[in-house]
This record gives sequence, C-alpha cells and structure tokens, in this order.
Amino acid sequence: MTTLSLSMRDSATMLRRNLRHMQRYPSLTIMLIGQPIVFLLLFVYVFGGTLGNGLGGGGGRAEYVGYVTPAILLVTVCSAALGTAISVATDMTEGIIARFRTMAISKASVLTGHVIGAFIQTAFALAVVFGVTLLVGFSPTAGVGDWFAVVGVLLLLTIALTWLSVALGLAAKSVETASNTPMIFMLLPFLGSGFVPTDSMPAWLRWFADYQPFTPVIETIRGLLLGTPIGNSAWLALGWCVVLSAVGYLWSKSLFAKERDR
Amino acid sequence: MAKSLLGDTTVLLRRSLRHIMRSPDTIITTVIMPIAIMLMFVYVFGGAIKTGSDSYVNYMLPGILLITIASGVSYTAYRIFGEMSSGIFERLQSLPIVRSSVLWAHVLTSMVANLISLVLVVGVAVLMGFRSGAGFLSWLAVAGVLFLFTLTLTWIAVIPGLSAQSPDGAGAFSFPLIFLPFVSSAFAPTETMPGPVRAFAENQPMTSIVNTIRDLFAQNPVGNDIWFALAWCVGILIVAYVFARTVYHRKIA
Repeated sequence: MTTLSLSMRDSATMLRRNLRHMQRYPSLTIMLIGQPIVFLLLFVYVFGGTLGNGLGGGGGRAEYVGYVTPAILLVTVCSAALGTAISVATDMTEGIIARFRTMAISKASVLTGHVIGAFIQTAFALAVVFGVTLLVGFSPTAGVGDWFAVVGVLLLLTIALTWLSVALGLAAKSVETASNTPMIFMLLPFLGSGFVPTDSMPAWLRWFADYQPFTPVIETIRGLLLGTPIGNSAWLALGWCVVLSAVGYLWSKSLFAKERDR
Repeated sequence: MAKSLLGDTTVLLRRSLRHIMRSPDTIITTVIMPIAIMLMFVYVFGGAIKTGSDSYVNYMLPGILLITIASGVSYTAYRIFGEMSSGIFERLQSLPIVRSSVLWAHVLTSMVANLISLVLVVGVAVLMGFRSGAGFLSWLAVAGVLFLFTLTLTWIAVIPGLSAQSPDGAGAFSFPLIFLPFVSSAFAPTETMPGPVRAFAENQPMTSIVNTIRDLFAQNPVGNDIWFALAWCVGILIVAYVFARTVYHRKIA
C-alpha cells in the first residue's frame, strides 16, 4: 500500500470517529443549528417588520427575509466552526492525541478527520437552516448556475473558517477558551451588511463594515440568490476566502507540528 | 425574632458583599453582555430601526436594564449553588441563627450587586447619548420598579440555586429571562410584529415594565402599564418566594 492510500485510510478512520461522536453527542450539533435558527426567527418575526421597512423597497418582513438569509447562512457556517474548535480542543486537552501518536498512523489524518467531519456537519446544518428560511417565506430567484456558485462560495468559506477554527482549537489551552475565541466569527456578520445596510451605520462603523471579510461574501450570496448586482464583491469574497484558508491551514499545520514534537 | 433576623441577615450580608468586593469580575461579567447588546443595537441596527423616537438609545435602555438584571441574578443562583454544594449552608445551620437569614443575605447581596451593575450600564448609556428630562419623582419611580423587578427575579434565582444538580443547571434558568425582553416592546414597536408574536409581546410581563420605565424617562403619562407591571412583579414575587422557602425548608430539614 502506498503512503497516500494509507494516509487516506487513516483519515477515513478518523472521520468515522468524528462522525460517531456527532451521532452519540447530538446536543452540540443541535445547539450549532439552533443558534442561527433562533437569530433567523428573532430577526424576521420580531425586528423584520421595522428593519424591512427601512430597506427602501417598502416590502417589510417579506423583503427582509430575503435580505437576512445570506447572513443567517454565514452565521450557520460560523456556528459550525465553533463546534470544530471545541472538538479539536477536546481532543488536544484529553490526551487522545498523545495516544494516537504512539500508533502507526498518518499524523495528518487526525486533522483531516476533523476537517472533513466539520464539512459534513456544516453541510447538514446549512441544509436544515436553509430549509427553515424557506419555511419562513424566503423565495430565491437563483438559476442553476447561481445555485452552484452559492454552494461554491459557502464551500470556500467553510474551508477557510474550518481551518481557522482548527488552529484556534489547537492554540487553546482549554475547551472553554476554544469555545470563546471563535465567537469573533459569529460577530462579523452582524458588523457587516448581513442584517442591515451599512449606510444606516455611523461613519466609523460603516467603514469597518464595508471592508471586513464577511461583507463581500454576504453581498455575493445575496446577489446570487436574489439577482441583485454583485459588482466586485465576488472577487473580494474569493480573495478573502483563499487568504483565510491559507492562514488557517498554515497556522494549524505549524501548531500541530509543534504539538507533535513536544 | 425580627431583631434577630435583622442582625443575622446583616452579618451574612456583610460576608456575601465581601465576596463580591474580592471578586468584582462577577459584576464586570454581568454588565459586559448588556453593554455589548446596547452597542450592537444602537450603532449597528439603531439607524435602521424606526421607533418613532428621536434617540434609539433612549428607546431601548429600559430593555437593556431588564437584561442587566436577568444577567445579574444568574450569579445569585451560582452563589447559592456553590454554598449548597460546598457544605457552607449546613455549617451555617449548625449555628444559633435565624434560618431564613441565609437566604435573605443572598437576596440582599443580589440587590446591591444589581444596583452597581445598573449604575454602570446607565453610565455607558449616558456616554452613548442617553438623555432624560425626568424629574426626581420619575427617577424614584423607575428605581422602585427596577427594585421590585430585581427582587422578583432574585427570588426566582434562589429556586434553581437551591435545587440544581450542577453550576450550569443553576445558571441556565436566566437564559429565557434574558431572551424575553427581545420579544417585547424593548427593541422594536410591537405594532411591527406579526399577529401571534405581537399578541405574546404585548401580554408578557417585560412589555409593561419596559413601557412604564420608558414613559417615566420620557415624562409621558404612564397609563395602565405601571399597574400591570406592578401586578406581574408582585404576583411572580409571591409565587417565587413561597416556592423558594418551601424548597429551602425541604433542603435543610
């Protein structure tokens, strides 16, 4: 057997382990899916009427559902990333990694298992949350090509945030720390164009909101789903995703190597 | 008996307050969340939410004050749980003191801690532009409503503090209390909400309390809201007090 096939087999074993954890302890997955759904219901049914009227189209709540859906999808990805950081930190602090190190397995397979497991968890969470957005009245106008593009953007963002959260999980000294540090991801959709247009914000905050990574991602997904103009948001979104993925991957790799050499 | 209760409660209150002064992080943690919510709603959503009020910080401060209290009383539950599980309660029961003074000391500590938290939150609101032309009597009425609300939530907090199996369980009761102001008139007018949500929002306790405080700050006529607010607080307070006493006596029997 080649090194690559052995590595793939080990990664598949680690993935199975992670999926079994998700199955046996569904409370974390439920919480990760529940959080964006609570935000969705709160912003659509409690604030949707007044925020929708402020969008300019005068469509009220019905218009606001379409406006807020991309942000809710991003919150879902961020929420799943939080779960990844927690599960990586749990493995790191409970000594199971030290145990794996004594076995004849591919060292990278531990992280690969976490990353692919996180992908599956995120995909499941996105499907459930998107289903709820349809139930509360979201009606996208996207064509087949647009849908592929939406999936592509969400996939890239998931890669970026998953690797970053793996790094944060590796860097954390405790599970509590790992559950707090990725909260910054959760905050970013709020401090962008996710829930309200940036031109309703004060100048200093608007500047930040316009130039932070999540705003172009939100604008791209919104444009693809609703047919609104995207401009150069798509390229900015791709650029941010690639940069964040590279940072997360390299940081994770160096932290894991450091941990391995200890 | 009354003199003894007062004396014992004072001694135990001093002890609890010393704990708070030695670890002020609980108060800091309590105020961080309401201040973060206030910053978020004023600066991020404030420009987009149409309330018919000149200043959104003026509109939403009453709701933030209720969230501050709901956040603060969870620490009362934690403190009671901590003393129950570490055996301090049993130790105090072996002393010649009035039994209920232990609970009253925790309740009064909660009142003091929440007062400090509320002052800090109002201070931040003033920095963010909160202004009120309310006179002394209106401020006194606001203080009275907040005092009654804090007392009510504190007695609710005593129940999980005494009966929880874990620290997380002791604090978990506060999540619905923190969430309730969001589904009220605290952040957006209830007229903009759909039928069932609006019906719930208009008839839940937080709305009448928020409206009362908002009208007092704005020097508007308070109307029936103040009576609904007082009725809710007193009604829940009596039920919580009786239930907490029952749980306490069962625990120490």
